[in-house]
Amino acid sequence: MVKKVKFKRTKKWESELNKCIRCGYCYELCPLFKSYNWESDTPRGKLLLIHGMVTGKLEPTQEIVDKIFQCFYCKNCSDNCSAGVPVTDIITDARADLINAGFDVQGTIVEIDEDLCSVCGVCVSLCKYEALKIVKIKKDKQKIEVDKIECRGCGLCLSACPSGAITQKEGCNVTLTELHTTIREILTNEDKRLLVFACNYSIFPGMQLSQSETIVKTPYGVIVTMCSGRVAPELVLDAFEEGAWGVMVAGCPPEECDHDGNYKTRRRLILLQRMLKELNINPKRIKLEWFSTGESAKLKNSIEMYAKELDKMGPIKAYAKS
Amino acid sequence: MRKDDIEKLKKILGPENVSDNLADLYVYSGDASVHQAMPNVIVRPNNIEEVQKIMRYANKRKIPVVPRGAGSGTSGHSVPIDGGIVLDMKRMNRIIEIVPEDMLVRVEPGVVDDDLNRALSPLGLFYPPAPASSRIATIGGEIAANASGVRSVKYGATRDYVMGMKVVMANGRLVNLGANTRVHSSGYQLERLIVGSEGTLGVVVEATMRIFPIPKYRCLGVANFDKLEDAGNTISDIIAGGCQPSMLELMDGIGIVAVNKALDLGLKEVGAIILFEADGNVRSAIDYEINKMKKICEKNNGYDIELSYDPKERQRIFGGRKKLFASLSKYKDGIICTDLADDMGVPNSKIAECAKKIHEIAERNNVIMAVYGHCGSGVIHTKIMLDPKKAKQWKDADKVIDELYDYVHSVGGVTSAEHGIGLSKAPPWKKARKDIIPVMRAIKKALDPNNILNPHKIMDAPDDWVKATDLRYRVGR
Repeated sequence: MVKKVKFKRTKKWESELNKCIRCGYCYELCPLFKSYNWESDTPRGKLLLIHGMVTGKLEPTQEIVDKIFQCFYCKNCSDNCSAGVPVTDIITDARADLINAGFDVQGTIVEIDEDLCSVCGVCVSLCKYEALKIVKIKKDKQKIEVDKIECRGCGLCLSACPSGAITQKEGCNVTLTELHTTIREILTNEDKRLLVFACNYSIFPGMQLSQSETIVKTPYGVIVTMCSGRVAPELVLDAFEEGAWGVMVAGCPPEECDHDGNYKTRRRLILLQRMLKELNINPKRIKLEWFSTGESAKLKNSIEMYAKELDKMGPIKAYAKS
Repeated sequence: MRKDDIEKLKKILGPENVSDNLADLYVYSGDASVHQAMPNVIVRPNNIEEVQKIMRYANKRKIPVVPRGAGSGTSGHSVPIDGGIVLDMKRMNRIIEIVPEDMLVRVEPGVVDDDLNRALSPLGLFYPPAPASSRIATIGGEIAANASGVRSVKYGATRDYVMGMKVVMANGRLVNLGANTRVHSSGYQLERLIVGSEGTLGVVVEATMRIFPIPKYRCLGVANFDKLEDAGNTISDIIAGGCQPSMLELMDGIGIVAVNKALDLGLKEVGAIILFEADGNVRSAIDYEINKMKKICEKNNGYDIELSYDPKERQRIFGGRKKLFASLSKYKDGIICTDLADDMGVPNSKIAECAKKIHEIAERNNVIMAVYGHCGSGVIHTKIMLDPKKAKQWKDADKVIDELYDYVHSVGGVTSAEHGIGLSKAPPWKKARKDIIPVMRAIKKALDPNNILNPHKIMDAPDDWVKATDLRYRVGR
């Protein structure tokens, strides 16, 4: 059924939407486009849909709304748009109008399985955008509620939830199952030795190179996660199990992380390194480095140097495949 | 199209690669032009056989098929004005082989220009045509539009790089055109016929392209001018003087203000600037070329000329030029930049006169037009900047187009130098090229008798571009 949407908040953006020249240069910067490869998943595609709805050319339907709610807010598009169109601000306002009109969506937003959630509140304190709230539903019952307008889909809460109650929709290569599959593909099918988890927010544009299917062979594979804080310890261990000689996690420098996920990554990886030591595995098999936006050359050098270091170390004996 | 047509396509490609979802249809209804028209279905083939199956089916059912690369075209080539199937080629993006010993590369049509260059650069090679949209533009799209770019003044356009290609014809038959050799004299040069055909004659499914070694040195110069005319004369003098620039770009005052606003480049806000570059393997030869060009700039009142071999500095200056197209929207509040009258070509000796004429016509018709472009190769880029909400402004734009192209054609210029005719440039082009329209129609009829491949474009496009499709803006009274 078609719902009437007033677009109270989005209306003001019509002239900005007109400014989008639709050059499409934002494609190459969008992790969602890289995942799905449909033009409707690009920032340009979303602006077109919003423009259509605001100008009355397009009636909002569930399928259109689903597209608008697929965005990780890395802001690579807004930061690099030469026409200066504030893409993500427009998307946020459109989301608010659509939610207010009664649309229900998941998109890239996290979902909480109430049966598994113990309402411990770890996720609530983690979220910098205050997108998670403890609410009272009955006299003695509480639950965690997700603010669908504020959630950025960074996945930090997901990797921190002790009960595994938080999930995200499959398809964007960010769920644990999907990441496990990618790890296996890179290490087994592509025969790489080093696995790099790179933060989408600071690093992705510079790493297009390694994401491209058509690229020259490298001894390393790169997985672009959202925030580095979403690299759950089991993903690193999984990589070792699949035969990785080493794992590098590349995140934003302290103070620069939009989600404060880098601090969590650091703590987590130090603990993991200690654990490796106890298992008689060189803790240098895990490496954490910080990179700012635009430091793709530094990143490339670091990866290459680490690959050389790993060559000297050889495979991990404990995990060596028979 | 019927529901069972879509079911059949889903059987051919798998349901995940076929969409008739409203969100997808709306997004694929436009490109970077002002036009918009809804297709019935989007399909994403992954190999040649799938393209053949789609074409066979569409031909039997007489359903229009519009091939599409990145959708970055500026004249509406990929806008499906008769509906039908949009053939999104972006999944066919494999570089099949790089053969340095033969200096060629074989690619699928969905390979992005910059990705190709990223793969070539570790081998010390590059693919030169590089339009400004190279970061997303696909090789297939570049072939369809005969794209060219900043280095075309020395290295030529896409057509100069096509050695051979595999094409799926309207009836689904696969043909092998051209050769793996640099020259061939073996029958019709059909691979050249496909270049610039805008998807109306066949679907390119593989291309064999020439590549070049990356020159060891590049030196970029920037010269400032108070008068646009002086800058224009400099361009023609540089070419006529026998210099060999690897880039020769002009940007007028409007363009400078826009890129400064959008990118904070801190360029001097003068009447015009020229960017000139020389490249090669012998440093002294480049010094000679670049100084020769510098002297010509000075002779034409160019000043504060800077020269730089430093790649970072070159990137900083040049980055502004690459993003100028979109930056123009930032020039003035309430005014937006439209892709109209955007790439005429004139003989080099007419650059200065044409640039002046553009500003004159724009002013007379109440719109703003920036003048920039790869003027060394005779390309003048302009954009009509207007208030899209006012219906009168679209009439103004129509008048500008009429007057401007009458002038361009009168001095021996062409309607489109590198973006193609599509829909928005068809009316002036048809007016000027009445003689070749019957020839083109005969070729089209011979190769696509059912008129299913990107119908109603170029010679068959509507005569009124404003009414040809929906305009993508909300136009008031």
